Amino acid sequence: MLPGLALGLLAGILLGWLVLPLEYVDTDPSSLRSDYRTDYVLMTAEAYAGEGDIELAQVRLAALGPQPPLEIVSQAIAYAEENEFGQSDLQVLNQLAVGLRSYSPTAEIESP
Amino acid sequence: MRRASLLPFVLSCVVGLAGGLYYAWQIDPVEYVDNAPDTLRADFKADYLAIIAAAFSSTEDLPRAQQRLDLFSDPDPARTLAALAQQRLAGGHSESEARALAQLASVLGEQPTPYVQTPVTSLPSDPTNTPDRRTPRPASRTPTSAAVPTRTPTPEAARVFELQSREIVCDPALLQPLVQAIILNTRGRNLPGIEVLVVWDSGQDHFFTGLKPELGLGYGDFTMTEGVTYAAQIAGSTELITDLSAEACVDTGGEVYLGSWLLVFQQRSTP
Repeated sequence: MLPGLALGLLAGILLGWLVLPLEYVDTDPSSLRSDYRTDYVLMTAEAYAGEGDIELAQVRLAALGPQPPLEIVSQAIAYAEENEFGQSDLQVLNQLAVGLRSYSPTAEIESP
Repeated sequence: MRRASLLPFVLSCVVGLAGGLYYAWQIDPVEYVDNAPDTLRADFKADYLAIIAAAFSSTEDLPRAQQRLDLFSDPDPARTLAALAQQRLAGGHSESEARALAQLASVLGEQPTPYVQTPVTSLPSDPTNTPDRRTPRPASRTPTSAAVPTRTPTPEAARVFELQSREIVCDPALLQPLVQAIILNTRGRNLPGIEVLVVWDSGQDHFFTGLKPELGLGYGDFTMTEGVTYAAQIAGSTELITDLSAEACVDTGGEVYLGSWLLVFQQRSTP
């Protein structure tokens, strides 16, 4: 009885993990692999370089998870440096980081 | 006797298998944390495409945009982008976003044959690969060696279009009188993302081709008001098409309704 149970359990786990694992088809950007994630941040930075809309950039970065946008960009910069991205890529990423650092939503609210 | 002694073993195997599958699928399933963009949910996928277009709009780096689009294995990304532009516009997204999507669709639509790609940074399609961005990215806007025919996107204003035909369309199926435009490139292929200006005595408006892909990527239209005379012009072109107004048409039952104008433009080959 026990050997059969153990054998079945083992076969079931192997089947479920290796042969027929659950397939994720409706994922969100926060689960992207780090290189795709970095490219997503890079696209946001490239778009920001043309649009100059820091709020839109923040909305785009928010899709990558609950971390502060600046932290997401900093991680992307670290990945880009580690993987020797081109200078122009690093430049636009830095430009986005600077934009985020200097952006303060409350600054637009003027006191009477 | 032998069969009877096997039964508990087989049953326990089945129970174990079920337990194992339950554990592997429900309790501790394989976690996919390193996903590729093509696994994204449809709405995130649409956002991703919009960011690709926005980035392209800023950098004009077509090879890079194509590499990004290739991640989705879409056989006709131009059509997908044009359809998405229409959806985003209808969904209240910014016009600039829709324009960026239409612009990328337009540029892709102009490329029926693969152009020669310069050695740009590559995105991995194989999950085991790491990104190879070590080759400095060539600036797409600066001319490269004449031996390597890279493509520089043509500014819209530099395009020259000629009116091929203008005709009244009496189609009772059209609920409103329209200025319909079909814009073709030099090879007679539909050209999406082209801006058409419409002016009249007291105002002006514009529309883009490619936002109704079901009617053709080079199609765009504008609804006319009865009694108003319009003029149409492709943005950046000098040719003005005047005297466009909702003309009376008569259907088979003798009922009068307002007809539309169909303008067909074709891009002229420039030396």
